[in-house]
Amino acid sequence: MTCKQAPSAFTLSFLAPGLLIFAALTIFPLGFTLYNSFHNLYLLRPNDLDFVGLANYLDALKDPLFYQSLKNTITFMVFSTAAETVLGLLLAVYVHSLGKKTEYLRFLIVLPNLVPPVTIVLIWQNLLGYNGMTNRIIATFGFEAVNWFMNPKTAMGALIFIDIWQWTPFAFLLFFAALTSVPVNQYEAAKIDGAGPVSSFFHITIPHIQSTLVMVVLLRLIDSFRLFDKVNILTKGGPANATVTITQFIYQRGVGNLRIGYASALSVCMTLIVLLLGIPAILRNFRKEN
Amino acid sequence: MKTKSVVTVLTLMLAVVFSAPCSGQNDGTETLIVAGRGGTHIDGMNAVKAQFEEEYGVKVEILALESADLKQKISLNAGSKTGSYSLIMADDTWMPEFCDADLFTNLEELGVKGDSDFIEAALNLGKFPYATGDLYALPIVGNVQLFFYNKGLFDAQGLTAPESWEEVLEAATAIRSATGKDGYLIRGQQGNPIVSDFLPVLWAMGGSVFTGDWMANVNNDLTKEALSLYIDLLNQGNNLEKNELVEAVSAGNAGMSLGWPSWYISGETSSAAFAPIPTRYNGGSNPAGMIGNWMIGIPANAPDKELAAKFLEFITSSEIQKEMALHGGVPSRKSVYEDPELVARYPHFPAQMSALENSVARPRTPLWSDVENVFGAELSAAVSGLKSIDQALADSEAAINRIMN
Repeated sequence: MTCKQAPSAFTLSFLAPGLLIFAALTIFPLGFTLYNSFHNLYLLRPNDLDFVGLANYLDALKDPLFYQSLKNTITFMVFSTAAETVLGLLLAVYVHSLGKKTEYLRFLIVLPNLVPPVTIVLIWQNLLGYNGMTNRIIATFGFEAVNWFMNPKTAMGALIFIDIWQWTPFAFLLFFAALTSVPVNQYEAAKIDGAGPVSSFFHITIPHIQSTLVMVVLLRLIDSFRLFDKVNILTKGGPANATVTITQFIYQRGVGNLRIGYASALSVCMTLIVLLLGIPAILRNFRKEN
Repeated sequence: MKTKSVVTVLTLMLAVVFSAPCSGQNDGTETLIVAGRGGTHIDGMNAVKAQFEEEYGVKVEILALESADLKQKISLNAGSKTGSYSLIMADDTWMPEFCDADLFTNLEELGVKGDSDFIEAALNLGKFPYATGDLYALPIVGNVQLFFYNKGLFDAQGLTAPESWEEVLEAATAIRSATGKDGYLIRGQQGNPIVSDFLPVLWAMGGSVFTGDWMANVNNDLTKEALSLYIDLLNQGNNLEKNELVEAVSAGNAGMSLGWPSWYISGETSSAAFAPIPTRYNGGSNPAGMIGNWMIGIPANAPDKELAAKFLEFITSSEIQKEMALHGGVPSRKSVYEDPELVARYPHFPAQMSALENSVARPRTPLWSDVENVFGAELSAAVSGLKSIDQALADSEAAINRIMN
């Protein structure tokens, strides 16, 4: 016999504040953005609002900069997520293998992730700037200084490098926590059976931390898709649009040019892409839980 | 019964939480809120506002916002029936867009006049249509680009401040070949930086971004020659971000660059020598110094326009501008630039006033920010070698015309 009870007023009273906040801060902005995306909202003339149907979406699809920003964002996302996941995992395995008393080492590794994002950008602006420390070190070896942020061949690489520096500690932290839950006796049994460290890693470690691995990849994919601060401060999307990302493109159109209707359509496209990226992994986790 | 009591208590708690911000203290004093652009001029405004507060018995609150944030807040405020701001500051390039959207109050209707003591080029920026129409804002920060150079490097090579762009290139080449240091620095970051850095070169040659009927005018021999010279200058130097550029010229690691006064000049000292931007090229001469003023006006939906007009007259008056100049303000009035006490203290004032009087305004179209985006991206592609000069300018012309049509 199934027993389904309607929630009582008491239960609802506890849920109400959370639901209200959720509706006000998530549902309403999403709905409002969707509404604006079908209108020609220009921030300086909010009352001259006309329904334009899919025109904003069609404009986006016809805009070469939209594709350029999408390509740049995907490049950034793939390389930064891959590097952060691999490096985070390797660091976690190494530190975990050291046994106990690694608190200070862990703290040092996590440190970059504790620094505010804008501070990180300013630190690296100084380090990778033309007159920065990196070029001074390069010069001592007799090489020519590199204009990291102004050269189309190096600008995106520099942004990816800074992101890896900032976010590898985050991956490390999650992997380290997951590694502590892997039963030690399985490694001992594998060792008795003649398995080497590589074999143990792929047959014991990876299966045990699989859900963490999926979560790290998913979180980093979604977060790196929203890249904005580094681009806006360090390159402004240049040189020659080589680093313009979707969020920076939306910011440029929405905040810079005040075309909220068009920027809303771009934001809806971006949300759909992030959902497409996230849904398979989320569904997979739900199925596993059920 | 128990459930009802809990629900009642929770509801009351929520009501208290949500009503808390509304019960703030209010001593009844009227507050005049100015949405401003952060910078040293805000220090100047804050330093003098007490006189106005005392005279009119009001409180003046000046917000120091970052440029993009200020534009967004002003625009959001425009949608309200009664706005939050009594006065707003605006970059002069925003004026056509804001006036076109009826965002400002016509100052003449409030009895505010732009007197002849204001530098004409600065005052024109506040009129809509440009220079000929009614007055909607007054200049409060009289910025203009100058030519900065490292005197040590120039003296070592026996060079003097160049007056033509050919001399700029010669000086850059001389410094580069003699010292190995960067002769000339461009500010080639995509968007506003590279456009602001390139336009003075184009203007000196007699070029312009638009024709008289607002069609793009960049795919022609003159603009190609200007961009070619700009790239020649880059080849004798480097392409740096603003802070690095200022540091390099100031420290003697580079010969020269264009820049806004506040980058190099702080109070009474300048970290580099300066002169008006060269206006001559190939025997001809055209004004080339870019004007970049911050304007102040009264929004159409300002809460108390009469009082706001009084503050506007107060803050842009000659007497107050003199006081503000002592706290880092950049004047827009002749009488302030010519004040003997201030000239003795700030030796750059005569050069800055001369540059302001002979300055050029960026194109007065409401679509300038869009144009700047696409033109800046194409210029960036040309200086970084991704596109040829011909291709970049042909693409610029097509993109600008798409925006304008």
